[in-house]
Amino acid sequence: MSYTIGIDVGGTFTDIVVSAPGGNTIIAKAATTPADQSDGVLNGIGLAADRLAMTAGDLLRATTRIVHGTTVATNALLEGKVARTGMLTTAGHRDVIEMREGLKPDRYNLRMTPPRPLVPRDLRLPVTERIRSDGSIGIPLDTTSLDAAIDTLRDANVQSVAICFLHSWRNPAHEHQAAAAVRDRLPGIYVTTSFDVLPQIKEFERFSTTVANAAVGPVIQNYLGRLQSRLRDAGYGGELLVILSHGGVASVAEATRLAAGTALSGPAGGVAAAVALVRDGLSPNIIGFDMGGTSTDIAVVRNGQPNLSGDKAVGGARIALPSLDIVTLGAGGGSIGKLDRSGLLAVGPESAGAVPGPACYGQGGSGATVTDANLVLGYLDPANFLGGRRRLDLDAATAVVAKLAADLGIETADAAAGIHRVVNSRMADGVRIATVRRGVDPRGYTLLAFGGAAGLHITAVAAELGIAHVAVPIAASVLSAWGMLNTDLRVELSRSQGQSGSLDTTGLRSAFAAMEDEGRARLSWFDGEVALRRSADMRYGEQVFEIPVPLDDVDWEAPTLAADLANRFHAAHESLYTYALRDQEVVLVNARLSVIGRLPAVERGAADLAVTSAAPKAHRRIYLGAWIEVPVFDFLTLAAQQRIPGPAIIESDTTTVLLRTGDTACFDARGWLDVTIDHQPRPA
Amino acid sequence: MRHDPRMTDPITIAVLQNRLSAIAEEMGEAMLRTAYSQILNSSRDFSIALIDAQCRLVAQADHIPVHVGAMPWAAKALSARFPDPSPGDVYLLNDPYRGGSHLPDLTVFVPVFAGPTLMFWSVVRAHHSDIGGATHGAYNPAATEIWHEGLRLPPMRLTENGVLREDLLEMLALNVRHPRDFRGDLAAQIGSARLGEQRLNAVIQEFGAETLAASIEAMLDAAERHARQIVSEWADGEYLGEAVLDDDGFDKTNIVIRARVIKKGSDITVDLTESDPQVTGFINSSHANTQSAVAMAFAFMLDPDIAKNDGAFRPLTVKLKEGTIVWAHEGAPVTMCTSHCSNEIIEAIIVALAQAAPERAMGGWGRRLRIALNGTDPRTGRRFIWHMFQARPGGGGSVAGDGYSTIGEWHSAGGIKFGSIEVAETRFPLVFETHEYRLGSGGAGLHRGGDGGDMRLRIEAAGTTMANTAGEGVVHGARGINGGQDGAPHDYTLLAPGAAARKLKSKEINVPVPSGSVIHVRSGGGGGWGRQPPIDPVPEATGAKAP
Repeated sequence: MSYTIGIDVGGTFTDIVVSAPGGNTIIAKAATTPADQSDGVLNGIGLAADRLAMTAGDLLRATTRIVHGTTVATNALLEGKVARTGMLTTAGHRDVIEMREGLKPDRYNLRMTPPRPLVPRDLRLPVTERIRSDGSIGIPLDTTSLDAAIDTLRDANVQSVAICFLHSWRNPAHEHQAAAAVRDRLPGIYVTTSFDVLPQIKEFERFSTTVANAAVGPVIQNYLGRLQSRLRDAGYGGELLVILSHGGVASVAEATRLAAGTALSGPAGGVAAAVALVRDGLSPNIIGFDMGGTSTDIAVVRNGQPNLSGDKAVGGARIALPSLDIVTLGAGGGSIGKLDRSGLLAVGPESAGAVPGPACYGQGGSGATVTDANLVLGYLDPANFLGGRRRLDLDAATAVVAKLAADLGIETADAAAGIHRVVNSRMADGVRIATVRRGVDPRGYTLLAFGGAAGLHITAVAAELGIAHVAVPIAASVLSAWGMLNTDLRVELSRSQGQSGSLDTTGLRSAFAAMEDEGRARLSWFDGEVALRRSADMRYGEQVFEIPVPLDDVDWEAPTLAADLANRFHAAHESLYTYALRDQEVVLVNARLSVIGRLPAVERGAADLAVTSAAPKAHRRIYLGAWIEVPVFDFLTLAAQQRIPGPAIIESDTTTVLLRTGDTACFDARGWLDVTIDHQPRPA
Repeated sequence: MRHDPRMTDPITIAVLQNRLSAIAEEMGEAMLRTAYSQILNSSRDFSIALIDAQCRLVAQADHIPVHVGAMPWAAKALSARFPDPSPGDVYLLNDPYRGGSHLPDLTVFVPVFAGPTLMFWSVVRAHHSDIGGATHGAYNPAATEIWHEGLRLPPMRLTENGVLREDLLEMLALNVRHPRDFRGDLAAQIGSARLGEQRLNAVIQEFGAETLAASIEAMLDAAERHARQIVSEWADGEYLGEAVLDDDGFDKTNIVIRARVIKKGSDITVDLTESDPQVTGFINSSHANTQSAVAMAFAFMLDPDIAKNDGAFRPLTVKLKEGTIVWAHEGAPVTMCTSHCSNEIIEAIIVALAQAAPERAMGGWGRRLRIALNGTDPRTGRRFIWHMFQARPGGGGSVAGDGYSTIGEWHSAGGIKFGSIEVAETRFPLVFETHEYRLGSGGAGLHRGGDGGDMRLRIEAAGTTMANTAGEGVVHGARGINGGQDGAPHDYTLLAPGAAARKLKSKEINVPVPSGSVIHVRSGGGGGWGRQPPIDPVPEATGAKAP
C-alpha cells in the first residue's frame, strides 16, 4: 500500500498528482508561493491528502516516491537572483562568457545593450596556466596567481566559484588543483569545475554552463535541502527525486551538484507524460502543445523518444547540458491583442502575465487577452473556471474587447474571434517551424494538449497544420505532474574525443568504460535495474555541426568497430539530410552515455467509467462565425468510446475542449479524448 | 494600387502576414539543414525573400540584412530579361551589373502562379565559398576588373520544360574550385525556393488569389503607415553625413561617401551623388548593393519589429550617380562591397540622420578586416587555409546604453559566429595566447561604444605561412554620434622572431609569416553615443565600479 506523488511548481499553480494504491489518481492545485516554493508544495500535499480523507502526515508516511519539478533555478536565472559568483579562468581569456562567440539576437535592433553576464569582469580572475590542445601542459599552473585570485574572491565575499580552464576537457589536472585550493581556502563555498559539469570541447558552451551551474548551485542547494527536511519532518521517509532538464530524475545530491541541469525541470514533466502516453497506446509520434499564460511549449516525441539537444539558453545563460528539445513560443492565454503601429491586429508577445492577468480576472488587467476573447466568445464558462474557484468577469472582458473592436471598426464578437484566430495562426506557424527545424513533417503526428486552455485552440491549430489527430488527456491541466510519476533515474555523461581524424577505437572504449564507472557510482545508492544507452556526436571532417548517432547495439569488440561506427554515422546523416559522403573523413567529437536506473511503474487502475453515453449537462451560446447554441458535456462522465461531433464543448473543473464543426471526439477509456479533425480548408 | 477594403478584413490580413513570414522562415530552416558548405550552415550567409509579380518585397526572413534590400533589384533584372516565366522554371543570377550585388552571392528564383498569372517569386540568395576567378573565395585585393574576381552569371533559366539542365550545371561547376560544395549549395537553394513555391501555392488555394492580393496591398500599406509615422516624428531639414574609407589598395586614400539626406514630412531622400569617383580596387559598390545598404541604414533607424516589406521603404528615395564609388561603371571589381563600402554608406546616412532623430541614431559599428593564413600543419604535413573570424570589432553605443563588444560590423550586426578557440587550436597549428576585450577601444560617450578584441595569435606551422588581409578600418575608426567619440581604429601587427614589428595594412597579399611568429590583432571599437558628462571633480565615495 504505497503512494507516489508528482509535484509540478508552475508560475501560478503548484500541481500535485497522487497515484494511490489500486491505480486511482488524485489531483490537487495549490497557489504557488514564489518566496518559498516549498510552502505551496506542502499546501498542495495537504489538499491532496484531504481528497484522500487522510492527514498529510499519513499520506507522506505511506509514500515511497516523490518526484518534483522545480522552477527555482529557472526563475533565479530569469530574474537574476543568483548566488554571488566568481570565476577562475585561463589568463588571457577572461571574456569568453561575455563574448558569446560574437552572436547577438534580433538582427535589425542596433539599439540594445548586451546581456549582463552571470559573473562580472572584475570577478572573472585570470590564473596563469595553459593546457595545449593535445592535453600537454603549455604553461604550468602558477600558484602565486592562483592564490592572488582566491584572495580577491574571498574579499569579494563570493558564495560560489566556477573554475574554467581552456582544454580542460582534455586534461583536467589544473582545474582539479585549483578546485582543491579553493575548497581548502574558502571552506563552505560551492565549487564547480568545467570538467565536472561538461567535459566537452568548445569553451563557450562549457564555461557558460559551468558559470550557470555555480550561479544557481547555492540557490538549488538551499531550496532542495529545505524542502527535503520539511518533507522528512512531515513524515516522508523516502528519497526526494528531482526531474532534470533531460527528463530523467536524480537525487537531491546529484541535482545540487549539477544544479544547472534543473533549468528545464518544470516543462520536463510534460514530455515525460507524452512518453508515458505513448507507452499507454497513444500514437508513437506526438507533438506536445503546452499552452500557458505567457508562452506555449512545443516538444516533439518521435517513435516514443523525445529529442535531446545541447543548445538551450535560460534567461540569456547558455546551458549546454543535454536537455529536452522544447521550443517556446511567445503566445499564450495572457497574450494581449492590440493594433500595432501599422494598424494591423497583433496578438502578443506582450502578455498580461499572472498579475494583473486577463481583464476577466478582475485584477485590473486592461489589455484584451486571448482568455478575455475566449470568454466573450462563450468558450469559457464564467462560473466554472477552476471548478468555480475563480469567477470570470464577462463584463470586464467584453469591455476591453469592445474597445479593440472599435479601433478595428468591427463588431465585438468579430474582434474576439479575430484574437482567437490570430493567436491560433501564430501558434500553428510556430509549431510548423519548430517541427520542420527538426526534420519532422507535423502532418503524421498527434497533437497533445497540455494545460487548461490548450483545448480551446488545439483543434484549430491542428486544422491549420493539416494534422488529423488531437489528444486531450483528462489530466491535461496537471499533465506535467502526472508525467513525473512515469520517469526513471538518469545520469547523462559525455567525453570529447581527440579530433585527430581517424576514429580512435581504443580511446573510445576506455571513455565509455570510464563513463560507465562514473554513472554507476552516481547511482550506487539505488538498488534496482540499471540500463546503459550509448551514443556519439559525429560529423564529417569539414563540417561544423555534429549530429547525434545512437550506438546501442554496437559490437564493441568487433575488429571492424571503426568502420561500423562510420557506417552508422553515414546512415544517420543520410536519413537527416538525404545524402551521405562515404569517401569523407568521419570525426567522433563526443561520446555519450546515459545510465538509467529503472523505477517501478505506478499502478494504473481501470477507471470507473460510465457504461451509457453521457447526455449534455447544459447548452451554451458560443460564437463560431455566428452565435449558435452547442451542447456542453462533462468530461468526467463520458462513457468509453462515446462519440461527440462538433460543434460542442467538453469541460471539467480544469480543462475545456472546444469542438468545431468537422471535429469528432471519441473518449478513449485509457484516459484521453481522441479528436479527429476533418480538415477541409476552412473559410477565411 | 491601393487595396480595396471590401475584399479583405483586418483579421485575414494579420493571419496572412504571419503566414508569409513563417513561409520565409521555413525556407531558411530548409536551407540551413541542407546546405553543404560551412559558410552557409555555420555562418548562415544566406537570405530568403518573397517578392510579388511587381518586384516588390512582400516578406523576408531575418538573415543577412545586406542581402534583403538588394533582392527586388535582382527580381527587376530577371523580369526584364524573362518577362514570361512558366511554372516549373528555375532562374539564377549573380552579375553585379545585372541585378546582383557581388559575384559570390548566387540568387535562385522560382516563379509562383495563381492559375495562369505570375503572383510571386520565391527567392533564395546564398554566399558561395568560391566562384572561380584569380583567388580562392573571390576576395582578391589585387583585382582591377571584375574578370579577376570570378564567373559572371546574367539572369539565366536553369531549366528546360521544368527539368534542370545538367549541361548548364556542369558548365557552372567546372568554373569553380569546389564543384561538390557548389552543386550541393545550389541544390539546397533550389530546394528551398521550391518549398516556398509549394507553401505559397497552398496559401493561394486556401485563401484565393484575390483575397491574398488584396491582403498584400493592405500589408504593404500598413508597413508604409508605420514607417511614415516614425519618419514624421523626425526634424525636417537637409542633413549631410560623411564616412571615409582608408584606401582602395592602389593609389587612392581617404575615399569619401557623402550622404545628403533631405527629410520632409514623412519622406526621406538619400542623395549619394556627391560621393567620390569609383576607384581601382574591389571596394566599389554595385548599384543593387548600394540600394540595399541605404535600405539597411533606413531600417536600422525604424523600429526593429516593423514588417520589412516594400511598404516600409516607400518613404525612401535614393539618388545615385554612375561612375561614383557607390555605383561603379560596368567592369569594375566590386567583391568587397557587401562589407566595404556598404558599412561606410550606412554610416554616412546614420551620421546625417542623427541630426534629425538623435535618439534613433546609434554609434558606428566596426569595420571588417579579415586575415587568411595559408600554410602547412607540421602534425599532419597537410596544407591548411584558415580564415580569421575572431577578435571582432565593437558595436556602437545607443540610447539604450553601451554598445556590444567584439560583435562585428554594421552589415552583419552580430550575425556571424566566430566559433571555438579550442576547436581552432585542435584543427590548425595555432595558439591563441590571448583573446580578450581590448579595453578602452570603444569610443567614449554618454553611452560608450563596445570594445574591440585583443588577440595574440601564435603560428606554429611548418616553415613559412602566407597571410592575406582584406578589409578596412586601419585609419578610420567607427564614428561617434551625437557628441560621442570615435572608436579606436584597427591595429594589426606581425611580430616575427628576431624581426622588427611590422604593421599590417588592410589589403595585402602573400605576407610571409615565419613559424613562431605572433600576429597581434587589436580590433577597432564601436562609436560612442552622446556627449560624456564632465567628470565630477569630487567623486562620490562609493558607487558602481566600471566593469
